[in-house]
Amino acid sequence: MASHALGVTGTYPLVLTLWLLPLLGAIICWAFGPQLRTMSGWLASALVGISFVLAVASWSDATQGAGGTLGAHQPLASWLPGFDFGLLLDPLSLIWTFIITGVGFLIVFYSIGYMDGDRAFARFFAYMSFFVFAMLTLVLSDNFIGLLVGWGLVGLASYFLIGFWFERQSAVAAARKAFVINVVGDVGMMFAIFLIVANVHSINFGAVFAAAPALSAGVLFAICVTLFIGAAAKSAQIPLHTWLPDAMEGPTPVSALIHAATMVTAGVYLVARCAPLWDHSHGAQLLVGGIGAATALVGAILGTAQWDIKRILAYSTMSQIGYMIMGVGVGAYEGGIAHFFAHAFFKAQLFLGAGLIIHALADEQDIRAMGGLRRRMPFAFWVMLTAVLSICGVPGFSGFFSKDAVIYGALQHGHPWVYATDIVTAGITAYYMFRLLFVAFLGEYRGEAAQARAAAEPARRPHAPAWIMNAPVAVLIAPSVAIGAVLMFGGENSPWQRFFAPLFGATSSRAIALPPVSEGVTTLLVFITVIIGFAIAWQRYATRSAQADAVARLRRESERMPALLTNLLYFDWLIERLFVRPAQQLGALFGRVLDPHVFDGAVRDLVYWARWLGTLVRSFQTGLVRAYALILVAGAACFIVYYAVAAGVR
Amino acid sequence: MVVPIGDYVALAAVIFFIGVFGVIVRRNPLIMLMSIELMLNAGNLLLVAFARLWLQNAGQIFAFIVITVAAAEAAIGLAIIVTTFRPERFVDVDDVRSLHG
Repeated sequence: MASHALGVTGTYPLVLTLWLLPLLGAIICWAFGPQLRTMSGWLASALVGISFVLAVASWSDATQGAGGTLGAHQPLASWLPGFDFGLLLDPLSLIWTFIITGVGFLIVFYSIGYMDGDRAFARFFAYMSFFVFAMLTLVLSDNFIGLLVGWGLVGLASYFLIGFWFERQSAVAAARKAFVINVVGDVGMMFAIFLIVANVHSINFGAVFAAAPALSAGVLFAICVTLFIGAAAKSAQIPLHTWLPDAMEGPTPVSALIHAATMVTAGVYLVARCAPLWDHSHGAQLLVGGIGAATALVGAILGTAQWDIKRILAYSTMSQIGYMIMGVGVGAYEGGIAHFFAHAFFKAQLFLGAGLIIHALADEQDIRAMGGLRRRMPFAFWVMLTAVLSICGVPGFSGFFSKDAVIYGALQHGHPWVYATDIVTAGITAYYMFRLLFVAFLGEYRGEAAQARAAAEPARRPHAPAWIMNAPVAVLIAPSVAIGAVLMFGGENSPWQRFFAPLFGATSSRAIALPPVSEGVTTLLVFITVIIGFAIAWQRYATRSAQADAVARLRRESERMPALLTNLLYFDWLIERLFVRPAQQLGALFGRVLDPHVFDGAVRDLVYWARWLGTLVRSFQTGLVRAYALILVAGAACFIVYYAVAAGVR
Repeated sequence: MVVPIGDYVALAAVIFFIGVFGVIVRRNPLIMLMSIELMLNAGNLLLVAFARLWLQNAGQIFAFIVITVAAAEAAIGLAIIVTTFRPERFVDVDDVRSLHG
């Protein structure tokens, strides 16, 4: 049983400051961008960096206490009884704050190099700072309405940043799509809040979770499902995932921060935060666990068919978030959060590594047009290699510990089908990640076209010193390799488990089934599928014969790609048929019938009669003063006669 | 000698209807203004007569207010007549009908 944290009441200026600093950065970059120029990047990253330092400094506040008084609670405002707004920094929000401000700092710093020479340099950093603020609002709120506000603001920030290069038609379309799908999620969350308020009469986490055991199963299931609609839209779970690959239209640091490390994991946060609700609803656990596992599988399958380096990473993000959602969905909260934590590092590293390549090759994103980069960009190769090993779950790397915890957690909580799906997915993950690595880095160099394009417009990118982009990536390598071994080694007694024990209780007490397979066997199974995936990728892309005629082979592969995969499993097609087209047809129908004949018609009729009345009354307005006088007198006479007669009758 | 109230009322009625007749029939704005003054003064006469009859001085005071308003109205009316008819040699209110609907 997860005990829940309301937090001791007191003031924690650290929490307030670390929450507001990025907002300050956003306002300054937005207002004084033209004056600050490149200084805006340094300012934004400095403020986010200070936030991170403050987050580290509030560690002891966030982990003090237990049960109902766990964490640091900073009240902000009171509204109606039961509707208090405040900030809550407990172990769960602390982990997210670390990633948002820590990885966020590295990515914002990296952007100083990546965005160098962009016309809207300062605007970019204003949006990035605003995103960090919005995301902190989301994870630090101690109530559902604050959560929803943060939820909406990160969607807005994501919209701004996907459409950052708004001269591109595709970027605008992608931004709009992301926003619309996210709003579907927001509406789902709003209904969840309606249900919560109607049944609990409070929005504060502590009060709602304390009341959770008393709620009827149906109400609890409905709350969980509507909450999960929000989580699914934000975290790209099927069938609401289609916006995430398109969101890669944004600048690469945006993809790294928002669409890999932080915003898309908001759904994981939501489910973990609402653990007391999920703990009491077995149906919701089944649903969320199932959708998470299905998303992991679908994302991995779709990742095998992509050629755009960022789209491969986007589908891999979707798949990995599937793992996390599955983990927190079935009740393996520590595992799901661990995978979020490790994923934030290695996926940010993958995206930033991809950014190094894209930056060097003049915006080339097609891995077919890369090849042989291992010799030309050795640093990028090592960055990508370590991150790929981590994401595939090679023993010893961070991804190994977190992914095993998630997969084994599914079995511990009695979901064998989810468990089996996850193991298969791990193999596919290894296949598409090594495919990316082999095609882009091995063999002959195929980037002449991009190189020529870059040479043709040398003035476009005045280059910042390379260390600005290399240093943050180098810093990321350490946690994405080692954080798992440091924190998550040792099962029930690992520092990670002990860190979350006050929040979720002991894992062993929550696990409901005696697993038929031990954790060691699970590790072995995962490792075998990873080896198989790696071997297939090796055989298809890395052997000498595959390297020899790589260009022809890759062209043949793209031509023979099954229609099912080139059409992305028909998700977009289905959404188009089921929702977009009917909505457009309904709109057209309203435009043809309802609007002109009912709404416009009513207005037009009103105008017609008003004009008729006006014409009638106008004829009295002769402009002859004497006529008016006569009418006045006649009127007066009528009155006099009336009253005289009335008086006479009486 | 005490003049009966009926005489006042009759006199006021006569003056008032002379005014009404003047406004309706005459086309010279100056005459029309004078007719309006006649009507106002018919009203004043009644106010004063009834104030005297019922021994209530409010009527007397109100008559002064009406006189003031009448003076202001005459001033404005004359100003309008002067500006409107300055280019013309003859004045006729029926020529001024730019407000007709």
